Amino acid sequence: MNLHLDRLFRRKRSHLELDEEIQTHLAMATRDRVEQGEDPQAAAAAAHREFGNSALVQEITRTMWRWNAVATFWQDVRYALRGMRRSPVFAAVAVLSLALGVGANTTIFSVVNALMLRTLPVRNPTELVELLFKAPGQDHFNAFDWRNFQYYSENNHVFSGMIAASDTPFAIHGEGLEPETVRGGYVSTNYFPTLGVNAVRGRLIRPEDGMPGSPANVAVVSWSYWVSRLHSDPAVVGRQIGNADRSMTIIGVAPKGFAGLEPANRQDIWFPLTPVQPRNAASAKYWLKLAARLKPGVSIGQARAEMSVLWRWTQEEEFKVSGDRTVRNWKIEVQPAATGLTQLRDQFGKPALALMAVVALLLLIACANIAGLLLARGAARRREMAVRVSLGAGRLRLLRQELTESVVLSVSGAVLGILLANWGTKVLSAIMGSGRLRVELQARPDSTVLLFTAGVALLCGVLFGMAPAWQTFHSAPMFFLRESANAGEPRGRRRFVNGLVVMQVALSIALLSAAGLLIRHLSQLEHLDLGFQRDHVLLVTLNTAGSGYDGERLSRGYQELLRSFESIPGVRSATMCGFFPMAGVGAMRPATVEGYQAKPGERRFLSQNWVAPHYFATFGIPLLMGRDFSLQDQDRPRVAIVNQTLAHYFFGESNPIGKHIVFDGDSQPFEIVGVVRDAKSGDLREPPLRFVYLNSFQLRRNSSQFVLSTSGAPQAIAGDVRRVVRGVLKGVGVEDVKTMDAQVDGALVPERLSALLSGLFSGLGALLAALGLYGLLAYSVTRRTNEIGIRAALGATRGDIAWMLLGDAFRMSAAGLAIGACMAYWGNRFVASLIPGVPVESGTPILMGGSLMLMLALLAAYVPSRRAARVDPMEALRYE
Amino acid sequence: MPTAMRKREGYRSGIELLQGTLDMLILQTLRSGEQHGYGIAQAIRYGSGEVLHAETGSLYPALHRLETRGWIKSEWKSSEHKQRARYYRLTRAGRKQLISEHSRWTQFAAAIVRLMNPGEERGDA
Repeated sequence: MNLHLDRLFRRKRSHLELDEEIQTHLAMATRDRVEQGEDPQAAAAAAHREFGNSALVQEITRTMWRWNAVATFWQDVRYALRGMRRSPVFAAVAVLSLALGVGANTTIFSVVNALMLRTLPVRNPTELVELLFKAPGQDHFNAFDWRNFQYYSENNHVFSGMIAASDTPFAIHGEGLEPETVRGGYVSTNYFPTLGVNAVRGRLIRPEDGMPGSPANVAVVSWSYWVSRLHSDPAVVGRQIGNADRSMTIIGVAPKGFAGLEPANRQDIWFPLTPVQPRNAASAKYWLKLAARLKPGVSIGQARAEMSVLWRWTQEEEFKVSGDRTVRNWKIEVQPAATGLTQLRDQFGKPALALMAVVALLLLIACANIAGLLLARGAARRREMAVRVSLGAGRLRLLRQELTESVVLSVSGAVLGILLANWGTKVLSAIMGSGRLRVELQARPDSTVLLFTAGVALLCGVLFGMAPAWQTFHSAPMFFLRESANAGEPRGRRRFVNGLVVMQVALSIALLSAAGLLIRHLSQLEHLDLGFQRDHVLLVTLNTAGSGYDGERLSRGYQELLRSFESIPGVRSATMCGFFPMAGVGAMRPATVEGYQAKPGERRFLSQNWVAPHYFATFGIPLLMGRDFSLQDQDRPRVAIVNQTLAHYFFGESNPIGKHIVFDGDSQPFEIVGVVRDAKSGDLREPPLRFVYLNSFQLRRNSSQFVLSTSGAPQAIAGDVRRVVRGVLKGVGVEDVKTMDAQVDGALVPERLSALLSGLFSGLGALLAALGLYGLLAYSVTRRTNEIGIRAALGATRGDIAWMLLGDAFRMSAAGLAIGACMAYWGNRFVASLIPGVPVESGTPILMGGSLMLMLALLAAYVPSRRAARVDPMEALRYE
Repeated sequence: MPTAMRKREGYRSGIELLQGTLDMLILQTLRSGEQHGYGIAQAIRYGSGEVLHAETGSLYPALHRLETRGWIKSEWKSSEHKQRARYYRLTRAGRKQLISEHSRWTQFAAAIVRLMNPGEERGDA
């Protein structure tokens, strides 16, 4: 501050002194003239005339003092803005391409940030870890049960606290509230104290809530739910929330920003978890996610060692129940959880990293492009620079000014880029949220993201500002020979500019081929033989909570419902199943198959689903042998239908019909009555599973998932479906209606996202590279007008000249092609290492990317080449 | 070009001294003692037999540039006509600079002379 004042003061004094100095000069000149006999008035006028424009002299002289002053900076910025106004097309192209680059980077970075970098808003997040178990050859899961939680909590010596949380949807209907299902969770009563999260209203769940006699049915809501749905109600504590079935008393509001432990996957309501809570028998086993806080000074390695000891207990228990020896190969993992639990990170993290690489390349192309543009413009401004230097402007001063110009460009690009990113993040989280997992990226301008963007923009400014600045530095007039504006370009710079274009072409090819790879991957998955029909199928999920239907009554009601569904015009058949295909879930049970001797250590698990009659007809899964289930099976011996893979695995070529399967812990066998073709079940990417279907009506396995195959558009009958449900089962709600197509699409969200974004970004990159090539050739035509004129005068035809320039373009593209193909080769391998199942062996994407870029490049070269061919020799030789 | 730029260019067309030589001439002038701006201009003009003309538009920027570089120093003093004027004086660094510029100039001039003496005109535009 003081320094500034001082400097400003000095500048003021200097101004006055310069004024005085000029006045002295004029006075002396006038006196000399008067002494020589001139009329005083005429003498003063002559002295002034001779001196020239005194204001200008002052201005020029002053530019040399301003060196360090803040004013210089603003002057440069003003100058840069004036320059942008003067060449709006240049400015628009530069700012836009940069905005695209920065916007894309910011968008993808905000995803990466949300998934991998942003730490949870809890006390000392770096002390948090999560537990996962992993069976060989499978993903790891953070999924445990209450007994495990208790055992680990009580027996470990490494954690200062262990917490458990479930992920439970909670339906809310109620006075003044919009009916909706929010994500919530049962959390262990030490959850909030262990995380170090405190209430902003009321109190949070605390250990006493787990004690007998404590108030039942209490809930804590998130800050954002309180603000957006409860309108920041100051009397929120004590308010009832929930539905007719389950009503909770709100006891407090969690602090702003806290939304559970999973990044981009918010929870809005929490209930105390007590040992009696697990109600749903099917999911009771693996329904809790476990996290823990390391004791101070305990390393994650110590925690791993401790947990692998405790894990043996779980393995023994598991073995006692299932008799499955493979349990012994399961491993426990302890992973850092400062940024939250891993589920989404596993699904989107690697695609996000791959995309980060893609957008970084895009930005590099944009930078090279702008550098090329600036260089071309810099050549046009060489005269101006020469004049400025000869007038005494310091080279460093000019250098600074050039850099300021590029920084102004990059800042404008960044601001626009942030706006683009804001929109992009919303679109992106919408796409990500359309999948099986609910995703809510927080698009708010996080300080990390902003810092990142600012850093990127600044780096860009310096990066593409370097080239022209370097040029200025070297083009300053030498001792006295002023470079003629018409002199040939220095070879070095020409090579540099050509290098920029080659680099852009190469990067674009790498991008295009990566995009081609991902698009191919997506299309392979999309055209995968699912084994079932995905179009003209409607999926309906009911909610029987609070309806009063149960057991036998519900089973009869469902049978009636199926008949009513089938009588809806346009419905071909209707069925029910335990879980829908492509829901990302599945059930497995160890079993013994008649006539098959399992080898020691062999995996005895079979995948299973409970389905109603007509399931295979509804999904168009062909019955290869035997018969379908029927309602008549209800009072007969248990039956099962198996898939091809299972039949082949256990029976080879012999007939499986009539053979029996016994599940562990179950006394009665199931008789195989049919064999169906393989169909994908939980996930598209899974290998063929040994699958057994059981009749849901035979053992009263009432699920609430219905499937209808239709002759017309499936959505068209959604209204009828709701009406029929209301008519047949009073009080049962329709929770969800969607098409099988949407379900399959939902399973492909990460792939679609990667393909879509990489396609978009690489397209943009290629376009930018083409633009850069065009700009460079156009500029080179202008620079070489003289040469072209001479060639024309010496008898070169228009064709020769056009070919000469096209040849230049071709050579540059070919060089780019060669480098790009190598980059693409390694790039694709990198992508394949991040995303499993990518068909990297094929060279087609590289070939496609290369030819696409070559075509674009030649197209970009065509216009300037034609212009060159039209150059009139006489005109050209006169040109400057 | 912006108007300011064009003005400067137009103004500059009156400069007769080559860029770079002016600095040397100023330093040379100051070798014989301190002098104010007007005095330096006059010295160059009359010292060169009115052939060379140091434009004020170049002179003052040059003086300030030389001062920033530490080759000359200035001081406000009273002139012979009892007028306050800024006097410039050569520094030690300036003296060194003058020697090196002088030898460069001599080489340069000698080279030109050698080239020009064979007699043939071979100037290219």
